[in-house]
Amino acid sequence: MIDNGLLVQMLIGALLGVSVYLPLAAGQLSLATPAFYAVGGTLAALLSTTWPALGAGADGSFPLASFLLELLLGGLLAGALALLVGRLVLRLQGIYLAIATIALVEIVRVAILNLPFTGGAIGIFGIPQPFPTAAGYLLPALGLLALAGWVCQRLEVMPLGRAMAAIRNDELAARCMGIDTTRVKLTAFVLSAVLAGSTGALAAHFLNTWNARQGSFDTAVTMLAFVILGGSRSWLGPVLGGLLLTALPELLRPVGDVRLVLFGLVILLGPSVFPQGLITPGLLERLGRLGERAEREPQT
Amino acid sequence: MTMPPLLEVQDLTCRFGGLVALDRVSFAVQPGEIFGLIGPNGAGKTTLFNLISGVTTPTAGSVLWRGAPITGLPPHRLNRLGLARTFQNLRLFDGLSVLENLLVALQRRPRSGALAGLLASPSHQQAERQRQETAWQLLEELGLSRLAEREAGTLAYGDRRRLEMARALATGPQVLLLDEPAAGLNPSEKDDLCQLIAALRQRHQLTVMIIEHHVPLLMRLCDRMAVLDFGVRIALGSPEQVRRDPKVIEAYLGSGSTQSGSGGAAP
Repeated sequence: MIDNGLLVQMLIGALLGVSVYLPLAAGQLSLATPAFYAVGGTLAALLSTTWPALGAGADGSFPLASFLLELLLGGLLAGALALLVGRLVLRLQGIYLAIATIALVEIVRVAILNLPFTGGAIGIFGIPQPFPTAAGYLLPALGLLALAGWVCQRLEVMPLGRAMAAIRNDELAARCMGIDTTRVKLTAFVLSAVLAGSTGALAAHFLNTWNARQGSFDTAVTMLAFVILGGSRSWLGPVLGGLLLTALPELLRPVGDVRLVLFGLVILLGPSVFPQGLITPGLLERLGRLGERAEREPQT
Repeated sequence: MTMPPLLEVQDLTCRFGGLVALDRVSFAVQPGEIFGLIGPNGAGKTTLFNLISGVTTPTAGSVLWRGAPITGLPPHRLNRLGLARTFQNLRLFDGLSVLENLLVALQRRPRSGALAGLLASPSHQQAERQRQETAWQLLEELGLSRLAEREAGTLAYGDRRRLEMARALATGPQVLLLDEPAAGLNPSEKDDLCQLIAALRQRHQLTVMIIEHHVPLLMRLCDRMAVLDFGVRIALGSPEQVRRDPKVIEAYLGSGSTQSGSGGAAP
């Protein structure tokens, strides 16, 4: 039921979930991820279809090195944009930041729709493929997710990650403890954008076509649902949420049109049954203890 | 040449709309002293702390640090200069453990780079060990080590008060601003706190500014104190001088009570 194509989509969902999670870990509700995703995707689509130096073949093939370079460039461009925009929007707090970032998503969407070189409503199609089948994308998507997870995991024992947690708990107290909160929030915002940009570059090749609809307000809400269902206290939450919620509409396909109702029910009931999300610190602790016991048992 | 005072406020004024919360308040705090700040509710004590720690920007006047102006600097810059504070209504990082609360405050003692942290390089691990060590020392010192792994939000009230002090100390301050550290404590806890503050001043070479409603405690603890009433500094001096000041007695007990003598301000 789950084929390789869906698996890649699920991994992309997980990556975008982590991208929404990063600013949230510093207490900032930003919905800008689709904008950066769109920027990365558009860059990759444009470069691979118009820049011959990258080596796109006439048969639609594409060198792996150029693909990886695009992941990097997509992340860098999105990160640079986040650096510029972040200085302005991160002055806002709470729901106002969310609104400003939704505006950013709309600006990027309308820009991509109307710019002379991004293909208008049809978008850019025939994006060359670095891999012959969908299975080829599994490895880079997993690699990107592993990288993101590793960064998130390291953050927990680093001053930067602790500062983010402190801001999430009490921003004023954090400032009074010597934390440059503007800088920490901006860093989290840029990290989130880099991840979304790279993910966009990967998705553009995987989907084969790219247009302005890829990053819209709807996607922002879906990505937020990843984090809300999965849990926002650990990076594993949005990963699980992204995997599940991307797979669900496809898995429910046999039940016909009722699937959209069921999907809506999951989003509605998930947070009421698991208010903290599926993955909570308490759950991780219990799992940790189970792991320790399993390690000890063979010796006794 | 004489040394400038460690911390000085000059004609500090703060208006909120039509309300004058502080009106041209001036005083200087000398290195190593415990400086008390008393006054009835709404006198402007916490506002003064907010101005000194950069949380609020003054309408007029200036704050000097070793003679240099620091007015209007953001809180994190002031903290890095050596100025730490606690909050009257406790602002701990409730979702983090007690130990993590201190590690947040210790993040520049010593500093370690982001790349070193990501790669878990030896320099990062060394810095991290040092931070952990300092954190445990402070926990030990304030009697919180058995609670190290507990979430700060689940702590008993007295422990939360001490954790606030530990967290402020963890930033390595020269001046510690304590906003009602004894509020809500019982008499025996208040005595312990008094000894603790005196001991901390010794061990950490601190200058302490303290707001407190419990006047007997302050009288015992402070070298000098200032009295605020409706945003105006009405007295300044040793506890003995302040206790006898008729203006202080009037502020606390109302006019006409100067003869009756004994009361909150004149125990």
